[in-house]
Amino acid sequence: MTVSEETVGVEDIIVYKDVHKWFGNFHVLRGITTTIKRGEVVVVFGPSGSGKSTFIRTINRLEEHQRGDITVDGIAMTNDTRNIDTIRKDVGMVFQSFNLFPHLNVMSNITLAPTKVRKIPAKQAEMLAMELLERVGIPEQADKFPAELSGGQQQRVAIARALAMQPKIMLFDEPTSALDPEMIKEVLDVMNELASSGMTMIVVTHEMGFARGVADRMMMFDEGIIVEEGPPQQIFDAPKEERTKLFLSQIL
Amino acid sequence: MSTDSRIITASVLPPPRSVGGIGGWIRVNLINTWYNIGLTTVFGFILVVALWYGLKWVFLDADWRVISTLGGRIIIGQYNVEAACPGRDCFWRPQAGLLLVTVLLGMAWSVSGGGLTKRIAVLFAGALVACAVLPYSLDKMGLDVRLLFAANVPALALGWVIARHTRLGTVSWIAVLAICTFLLILVLLRGIPGVPYLQPVSVLYWGGLTLNLLLAVAGIGLSLPIGIALALGRRSSLKVVNLVCVTFIESFRGVPLITLLFMSQVLVPLAFPENFPQNSLVRAAIVITLFSSAYMAENVRGGLQSLNPGQAEAARALGLPVWQTTLFISLPQALRNVIPAIVGQFISLFKDTSLVYIIGMLDVVEISRAFIQGNPEYLASAKEVFVFLAAVFWVFTFTMSHVSRRVEQHLGVGKR
Repeated sequence: MTVSEETVGVEDIIVYKDVHKWFGNFHVLRGITTTIKRGEVVVVFGPSGSGKSTFIRTINRLEEHQRGDITVDGIAMTNDTRNIDTIRKDVGMVFQSFNLFPHLNVMSNITLAPTKVRKIPAKQAEMLAMELLERVGIPEQADKFPAELSGGQQQRVAIARALAMQPKIMLFDEPTSALDPEMIKEVLDVMNELASSGMTMIVVTHEMGFARGVADRMMMFDEGIIVEEGPPQQIFDAPKEERTKLFLSQIL
Repeated sequence: MSTDSRIITASVLPPPRSVGGIGGWIRVNLINTWYNIGLTTVFGFILVVALWYGLKWVFLDADWRVISTLGGRIIIGQYNVEAACPGRDCFWRPQAGLLLVTVLLGMAWSVSGGGLTKRIAVLFAGALVACAVLPYSLDKMGLDVRLLFAANVPALALGWVIARHTRLGTVSWIAVLAICTFLLILVLLRGIPGVPYLQPVSVLYWGGLTLNLLLAVAGIGLSLPIGIALALGRRSSLKVVNLVCVTFIESFRGVPLITLLFMSQVLVPLAFPENFPQNSLVRAAIVITLFSSAYMAENVRGGLQSLNPGQAEAARALGLPVWQTTLFISLPQALRNVIPAIVGQFISLFKDTSLVYIIGMLDVVEISRAFIQGNPEYLASAKEVFVFLAAVFWVFTFTMSHVSRRVEQHLGVGKR
């Protein structure tokens, strides 16, 4: 998971050039242009309906963009399914509602993709899964089914499941929004640890403590565009845009 | 114990008495209001009267000798009549088929380690062994046939030992062997030209419960995979595939099975050359299977629609291609959600196999009816025959629904 010193913060891993997306007639992304560097932790925030979830879902093409160019780790996002599959192998995703597979136990949830997609031998995949479960702090839950776990534990399994593919980028779509307050911290702790290990992370969240602590950059979304971006100190202490000030005053 | 801890600790109390015990249950459920007391009295009276006359008829009035007179015809129909099997020595072939099934059940018992599978295996073998000692009047029901029936006990043990001590004792091997056994039984019943003791027997003479079960097993085994394929096709974004599947499903669901069976006998032969081998059994099996597949497809589609789209999204985000997402994520959950509907369709299919009487095949109901009609001295015993047949069908369908509930429990339906 660690990235060598030369590449940290040097190489552009995600490049967006004037990306547009419509849901029917609704223009949800209205020209997104940004660059995310390897090892960067980016927090995306903004009012609901601002396109922030749609934005990170276009990174692994769970949503298709209709205009503009997206390049992920040097691969252009086109209709070519081989490119999409290659990108998805290297981009892990964690969802608001966990989306663990309820018919598989924790171990199988984690080993499914490595064994089927990466063709890693089962024994090796299980060892990797145990390592990851230890990393997220719940090795004793390996044989349980998702429904037997608490929300926080489920989300940590979901993170382990995404990490099992040894991705270069991790996407988090409001990972703590569905959790009870006392479980938010256990998930944020895992994400903190992941950020300090050098993982490239794009996190949609309103956990401003997390943003202030680990984000390299914050992006304020509103009405389908990036209204303002910059390091946390700038966003929190000296926001340039009125809309950013207004939104932060509402949630802080 | 200090006073403080008594204040802090919430006390854990046992549940109130009134809900426990049989007396409590009766008080709560049967005689809790005047309205319920009235209902309990009325239905209690009806139940007592029905049980009294029902049991009296079953144990005292009914004359069950007709069942033993029917005998082997219940199992195999006219298979062993002179016209079907010159020399009338073919009865061992269905018997051997049953022995193979018993061996399989023995293996399943060993693999499952007891429980429901064990009970089914023992019940099946036990019923067959019971036939060995029942008074039969079927011609040719000699010592050899009785011994073949009795051989089901060693067959059960053989299956158990095979599964325990060889590499065949796994679920997947048993599934493979089950398919082989089914095909082997078909060959055994049909016969091979030129081989002694295996002279061909025309399918026109196949009948009885064997016919119902062969059609049901073929239909159940094939309609689920065909139905899954149709359901996936109906959800496909490819317009042609979608159109073909919708057309197939809607046309087979829109026509009564009886009509389809007639059409298979009258219309299908027109499509083939005159000397093309005509096999009404195969045609009936195909029609029943396709008819059931159309219903199965809609059951499976319902299951697929009940899934949270987040499941497929999570799988796709992990890099699983569409086919693996369907195979490992969507289908297992969809099928698990619609087990009751699928088993309902299986049960319906099994009962519908009786309808092949319409194209002149003597299934267990039709052969019994024909027997009564052809032997006026048994006309008075028609009641016993049909009550017996109802019981036979019920045992099979109840076993199916019982197994399905067990499977649901095992998979944790409604919990996970």
